Amino acid sequence: MRSLPIRVLSVAAAAVCALSLASCSGTPTTSPSGGTTTGSNDKAATYGMMPSQGPNWLAPFNPADKMITANSSLHQLLWVPLFQYDGASGTMEWDKKGSVASDYSFSADGLTVSVTLGSYNWADGKAVTTRDVEFDYNLIKYNTDQWGSYSQGLFPDNVTSFNVVDDTHLTITFDKVYNPDWIVANQLTYLVPLPQHVMDITAVGGTVSDNDRTASGAQAVYNFLQDQGKDMASYSTNPLWQAVDGPYTVQSWTTDGAITIVANTKYTGTDTPAIKTVNFKPYTSDDAEMNDVRAKAIDYGYITAAQMASQSQFTDLGYQIVPWAGWGVTYAPYNFANPTTGPILKQLYVRQGLQQAIDQPTMVDKIFYNTATPDYGPVPQGIPSSFLSDIQKNNPYPYDMTKAAAAFTDNGWTKGSDGILACTSPGTGAGQCGDGIASGAKMNLDIYTENADVTTNEWSYIKSQWQQIGVNLTIDSTTSQNVLTRAQECKTSNGATCTWDMVFFGTAGSWYFSPYPTGDHLWAADVKWNCGQYVDQKAFDLISATLTSTDVTAGQAYSAYLAQQLPVLWLPMPAYQISVIASGLNVGTQDPGTSFMPQRWSWAS
Amino acid sequence: MSATMELAPRLSSASPMTRAWRRFRANKLALIGTTVVIILVLFCFVGPLLWRTDQVTVDLLNNNQAWGTAGHPLGTDALGYDVLGRLMKGGQTSLTIGLLAGILATFIGTCWGAIAGYVGGPVDAVMMRIVDAGIAVPAMFLLLILSSITRPSVPLMVVVIGLVSWLVPARLIRAEAISIKTRDYVLALRAVGGSHTRAVARHIIPNTIGTMIVNATFQVADAILLVAFISYLGMGVQPPATDWGAMLTKGIQYTYAGYWWLIFPAGLLIVITVCAFNFVGDGLRDMFDVKGRAS
Repeated sequence: MRSLPIRVLSVAAAAVCALSLASCSGTPTTSPSGGTTTGSNDKAATYGMMPSQGPNWLAPFNPADKMITANSSLHQLLWVPLFQYDGASGTMEWDKKGSVASDYSFSADGLTVSVTLGSYNWADGKAVTTRDVEFDYNLIKYNTDQWGSYSQGLFPDNVTSFNVVDDTHLTITFDKVYNPDWIVANQLTYLVPLPQHVMDITAVGGTVSDNDRTASGAQAVYNFLQDQGKDMASYSTNPLWQAVDGPYTVQSWTTDGAITIVANTKYTGTDTPAIKTVNFKPYTSDDAEMNDVRAKAIDYGYITAAQMASQSQFTDLGYQIVPWAGWGVTYAPYNFANPTTGPILKQLYVRQGLQQAIDQPTMVDKIFYNTATPDYGPVPQGIPSSFLSDIQKNNPYPYDMTKAAAAFTDNGWTKGSDGILACTSPGTGAGQCGDGIASGAKMNLDIYTENADVTTNEWSYIKSQWQQIGVNLTIDSTTSQNVLTRAQECKTSNGATCTWDMVFFGTAGSWYFSPYPTGDHLWAADVKWNCGQYVDQKAFDLISATLTSTDVTAGQAYSAYLAQQLPVLWLPMPAYQISVIASGLNVGTQDPGTSFMPQRWSWAS
Repeated sequence: MSATMELAPRLSSASPMTRAWRRFRANKLALIGTTVVIILVLFCFVGPLLWRTDQVTVDLLNNNQAWGTAGHPLGTDALGYDVLGRLMKGGQTSLTIGLLAGILATFIGTCWGAIAGYVGGPVDAVMMRIVDAGIAVPAMFLLLILSSITRPSVPLMVVVIGLVSWLVPARLIRAEAISIKTRDYVLALRAVGGSHTRAVARHIIPNTIGTMIVNATFQVADAILLVAFISYLGMGVQPPATDWGAMLTKGIQYTYAGYWWLIFPAGLLIVITVCAFNFVGDGLRDMFDVKGRAS
């Protein structure tokens, strides 16, 4: 009974103090989200999420069907990864502030990496130790069949031993010598210390023990955590998800995807959030989101490329427009396995001619309104990195319609009365069409593209350009799922229904890389997403070198070779999103790895 | 009353065609509709011969030019196509699909309805339950599925729209057929040994011509709208072909940029065309309607 008056008095006193402070803090300003800010970071920030791109899974391990980047992005805010790689500094590199590891070194033989942990505590005050890293590793090792990031032969299959030295030191030994950069950036980034003293249980209220150290125990723990993860309604209350060491905790999470995170008051790292409350607002359509931007209901959202033609509608509201460059590449695969057009597409001069007929800078300017970057090879070009070769950077096949046309006419092709090139000089000699191309073969290609306005414009332009050099392109716009299914058709049907020539699934970028941008998932032999079945032993060797060579230039050699060999048609890389950011909200450099990183946002004082 | 009395002798002296035309002409909106349809057809099919534009080659360097720009009275679109020329090209697609799909739907519906109505009994019941079932399935749903699994083209869209639009005409013609089959001339034909085929082909269907033609005009308008819907949802004909619906959906993205020339012309043409065909349909109904006729 006595506590009530005390609480009332406290609240009253706080209110008086707040009013006093507000009156002394200068002229308030109105922020886009509608509230009044005094320049304080106590004001919440609201982030508008793209349709179907908001977080939808909170348990630490993403199943295969929950692999959207927003989930990983949110997890990093709750559970700090052992190694965090991002582009927050302007280049893709190890972000020590966002990592539990404070240092690492490789053994002389290159097989073993030693990792030192920094000083972090869990929300309950206990220290983050190597046992927590081991717990995470064990759960991954014994549950690879369920872990969404698993690739056979890679992590954790390539780990031969995991040794805890003490609470802050551990060593990991691999089955062979790999490129150290690749190991740290693309393999050790999977490890995220998790609170073993809280999560190592197999049932609600169960006793914490070393379940994770046996296969059956680890599987039981993993299944328990995943089961708990299915209950979205309990995301803000389940003690499992409150045991965090990251800068934020989940305050609320509605079943429609609206999420509020608040600063973790027990956070002990150095990446302390400035803004204490961040709201993630879901949308079911771009139009709905943009209407909210126009209504100044969100502080950080996005617009579509077409809106760039009328930027003032947003800038006049106090927003700044900042394209968010993604760590990826965009391309259209050629189908080298097509029995009809495959032999034509295998000719490098054909691919050179097709590439040279495309003016990427003009596309970027006129179709993407300067929100994309030209892309001439397999390494992301919008963000500076040591992986990018000069050859790729400088575009080995600049736009030149004369050279594009000559690529065909110099090699045995002649335009017919219908304006379409036909092979008139078959054979494998100089000036002839090349191996497997019959006399009379025509340059008729078709492409299955995603059905989106910017994509339609992009391919209408390419069709028009190719038509001028005698290449007839038929465009078939369809759903993304259809395009992805088509892309795999020739690999699954043993060629029985292998009819496509090109596919395009790059409306929002074709492929987003792990921090070390290798082609081991894209152009290596027999991998799923080498959907055009590109075969080039030198390319395979260079890709392999990016994984295993200790030579730091291996990535550049790979970049240069594939930029010249054109295993795909390289196309401009669109922005991950065209962000609109409220004036006064400083979000720093938007991470090309597509993490939100709200701990680094701040309101201008 | 006296006016009717005066009119009657004049009507009786005119030929049936003259009287029909007089009734049609009495409907001013129908006349306006007919004129508009003729103008639209000329605009879409003869216009490109007078206003020559390249509707194949993309011209990115001249995209999004404002209306009134030299050489582009209605400006250019996002790919640099002349909008006036694009309206003509898009109109060709919209009108072609609309007309052919409308005719196809009416043809199928007429045959189906006439047979069902004439034969009657269990055959009629089965045929009309098929119609009921077909009507229960949303046409738009079918069209979107087909558009996503096949490559949309003008012939395909004509066939598909025709195949989902014949159900209503079938019902209308069936009702007419049930009435006509009891008329003396049909019974007489059967009494002298005339075949069922002859009864349907020579007597039932020709006597539903009024309903058929009126319905066909509405079918054309509906088909044009359906094409516009499908294209608006991004499932229409493939570039560089276009239609008014596709032009509208592309233009609508530039609403806030104030590029009205990408929106209003295509939108207005759809509205005007649909209204015009409906007015013509109303006029034709007046022309063929026997109710209240003086002679």
